[in-house]
Amino acid sequence: MLESLSLDGKVVVITGGGTGLGLAMVRALARAGANISIAGRSQGPIDDAAAEVKALGGGSLAVSTDVTDSVQVDRMIAATIERFGRIDVLINNAGAVREAVRKPIWEITDGEWRSEMEVNLTGAFFCARAASKPMADQGSGKIINVASGFGLRGGRDIYMYCCSKGGMIQLTRVLSLNLARHGITANTIVPGFIPTVNATESMGDTVPQSGDFLPTGKLGKPEDLGPLAVFLSSEASDYMSGEMFIADGGGLAAGIAPTGHAPVVPLEA
Amino acid sequence: MPVLPEFSLAGRTAILATSGGDQAPFLAQALAEAGASVFTLARTQLLLDAVLDSLPGAENQYGAITGPPSAEGLGKAMEEFGRVHDHLDILVNDSRSMFAKPFTDITLAEWDEVHSRNVRSTFLLCQEAGRRMIHQGYGRIVNVVSELAERGMVNGAAFAASQAALLSLTRSLAVEWGRFNIRVNALGTGWFSSEDLPLEEQRQELLVRYTPLRRFGHPRDIGPLLVYLCSEACDYTTGQPVYVDGGLNAHP
Repeated sequence: MLESLSLDGKVVVITGGGTGLGLAMVRALARAGANISIAGRSQGPIDDAAAEVKALGGGSLAVSTDVTDSVQVDRMIAATIERFGRIDVLINNAGAVREAVRKPIWEITDGEWRSEMEVNLTGAFFCARAASKPMADQGSGKIINVASGFGLRGGRDIYMYCCSKGGMIQLTRVLSLNLARHGITANTIVPGFIPTVNATESMGDTVPQSGDFLPTGKLGKPEDLGPLAVFLSSEASDYMSGEMFIADGGGLAAGIAPTGHAPVVPLEA
Repeated sequence: MPVLPEFSLAGRTAILATSGGDQAPFLAQALAEAGASVFTLARTQLLLDAVLDSLPGAENQYGAITGPPSAEGLGKAMEEFGRVHDHLDILVNDSRSMFAKPFTDITLAEWDEVHSRNVRSTFLLCQEAGRRMIHQGYGRIVNVVSELAERGMVNGAAFAASQAALLSLTRSLAVEWGRFNIRVNALGTGWFSSEDLPLEEQRQELLVRYTPLRRFGHPRDIGPLLVYLCSEACDYTTGQPVYVDGGLNAHP
């Protein structure tokens, strides 16, 4: 039953696929046999990623796309269909922390709120809207949203990121319920903190230097998401929909006490 | 068909423990197909035979009957395990002996039996496995639970409470053993059937029509996920349930 984990010949669209977590997912998807359409804002990184996929024997396409512009999103989806004839999987991975993340609420401008909600949540909605129609027409498809542990818990002075990622988790549920009749599933990957260039730059001096704060004691690596993205893109996950797959070093399972808190209390007489 | 080498369990030793139901053979097959050596612990001879008969390979023909969960009974079973294997990498608890009855009619004996089969047995096994895994600095534990761990259902109180206990155990053990490279997760299922019924026949059932994906799950639907959760590659996920339920959790 494990051959269902192969992505031989499948067509995957991934946004933000040129760097960080997206690039790690692209590499694993390509090794599993997928053809990949890679969207990203900068042409250089997505061209390099597309070349890597090609070197692994898969078809690839690099489409410069700003996911907050629905015209560009529609064009990217159309280009993918023109090149590969179908879309089996959409991975909404593009995410950004364009503005300084941490601010007291009264210092957040209208523009800062809108900008970040647009990249993370509106962008995922635009891509899902554009990809779900061809998926419905072919009677099958998978949408994978990459959210964050901040979509489930609060973060100190982190408003837009928490709200937009929480919104993506809800988007997944609504998509799954409504697209099931078209053979389309939707699931969310919920990563905890995984150091990437983007994450590190955006968090500044608040970036965790080690995984000491996690139950596992170590930070995740972008590569941790590779096999997970392959599983969720494959037929092995056909009966899974509307769900979260959390990869966070145990952070969300804990959280009721600081890491290392280990009380011993005998039973009362 | 390229399948990532990260999904391989070659060289790994697994214990699959079952307290009931007809899902265990498929779970064992998935582990064996991924290359693990499977040792089966079953509550009854019938459950044990069903698993062993389904497995290829002489290395997978070992198992033991645990009977009603007790430290002594499990100790004997682990002696058997020790005669065949010198390490334990993976523990899969399929402790889902089903039970449903109006709450006011449940006898204390029934309540205790449900919790004994599903929770007490898992407590004992996790303790046995945890000691070995802490010592070797590596382990993967997967508790296969019902989605009733998260939801309420008429007549389901005793069983659902037992599944919620397993989910809670999953969280605490993951946090307690994270530093030892032990990952503890739950795999949750919705409405499943091990029979290969035609879709049209399945859709006569109200529960199937209620499920967004309009079919029963089959144990094959969770085999590859179980393998991933048991793999070394699944290193950053711990203390979490992963549900495979045809979309039920998102149902209004």
